[in-house]
Amino acid sequence: MNTTIIQATNLQKQFKDNPVLTGLDLKVESGQVVGLLGTNGSGKSTLIKCVLGLLKPTSGTSTVFNEKSWDLSATAKSRLGYVSQEFALLPWMTVKGMTEYTGAFYEHWDYAYVTRLMKEWNLDEKQRVGALSVGQRQKLAVIMALGHHPELLVLDEPVASLDPVARRQFLQSLIEFTEDEENTILFSTHITSDLERVASHVVFLEEGKIGFSGELDSLKHQVKRIRISAETDLPLSLNIPGTLRSQVDGKHALLAVKNFRPEFMESFTKELNATFTVEDLNLEEIFLELSGVSTHSEAEVIL
Amino acid sequence: MTIKPTQFEVHPSSGVPIYLQIIEQINAMIAGGYLGAGDMLPSVRQMATELGVNPMTISKAYSKLEADEVVGRVRGKGMQVQKSAHSGNLKERMQELKPLMDQAIVRGRQLGLNDAQIQSVVKKLLREYKS
Repeated sequence: MNTTIIQATNLQKQFKDNPVLTGLDLKVESGQVVGLLGTNGSGKSTLIKCVLGLLKPTSGTSTVFNEKSWDLSATAKSRLGYVSQEFALLPWMTVKGMTEYTGAFYEHWDYAYVTRLMKEWNLDEKQRVGALSVGQRQKLAVIMALGHHPELLVLDEPVASLDPVARRQFLQSLIEFTEDEENTILFSTHITSDLERVASHVVFLEEGKIGFSGELDSLKHQVKRIRISAETDLPLSLNIPGTLRSQVDGKHALLAVKNFRPEFMESFTKELNATFTVEDLNLEEIFLELSGVSTHSEAEVIL
Repeated sequence: MTIKPTQFEVHPSSGVPIYLQIIEQINAMIAGGYLGAGDMLPSVRQMATELGVNPMTISKAYSKLEADEVVGRVRGKGMQVQKSAHSGNLKERMQELKPLMDQAIVRGRQLGLNDAQIQSVVKKLLREYKS
């Protein structure tokens, strides 16, 4: 049932002497909603562009629908929708003209669906594209990516300029899109709360490689903050496997781990005559812990 | 009776995965008597649209509840509540309750309540939730 939609193997991309992707492996299967996270400059847009064949990788391979990204057939292209950060719109056209112009490139363009989305998202068909606000243009770009009912939707920071109302409408349309269980989404975003609603999987980019890739739920099960309290001073180095951050302050310690195992912590703290509490983290906090940028400046990062 | 999706409350940005929040709420509704054997759960689609979350998350919650025999799939109708929401032996179930009681007791102490006062709060709640 699960077919591979996107596959990248040992993907590398270098701009002059600046390596952006450094041997990255990624697999996205049908039905997944994958959120792509990473700090600025970690290579999210470059990865998306390599996967879609808009950039030629320095080495490694990438496929979409089992076709080489760099030589996608027209059929493969008609099965995907893409919204880039710098989407090209023609300012002198009306909104309606713009969608019709785009629709003309596709064999199966759903005019009724596009009209409905424009109504739902309060876009005026008669307005000129050039007069739209940044957020309205972003809505238009998303609608144009959905008009031909793609099977794969790739979105590069689709909601950055949308207000909360429009973001929620956008999320609803993504949820509607995923009601067809074979439909797949890959999207990069900084708004982790949106991602938490719709993503089934999360991919963390870290220095051009995959730092974590897996189900959002299992990420939440694995990355935890732990507070340890003991009767006597704790050793300065606790040496717990998978530690992302460790702060020992006398009898108390604050840790972040990336592979929390209750049994291990139970026996570990027993030996130290200590007790521990576990804190669940939301995606934003997990993102900060995994990026090594926690709220505590003196944090010691052990990888 | 079919419970409405609006009865559920999800917090996507809490550290608890959304599917677990839904499972916990359904279990709590059963334990509290709001849901009984034979009641229907909303469809996956209704839940996903109403709560604004990925339909797969809802399916996952429902499948886990089905695996725990809390609900059963009725063909053409959806998910139906089977029975009370407990699984595992008595010891395991009591173990599961401990950390939650732990938090409550710590909070009680912080509020300056003594053992008898904490117990009386628990007893009062137990009466409200008569099994």
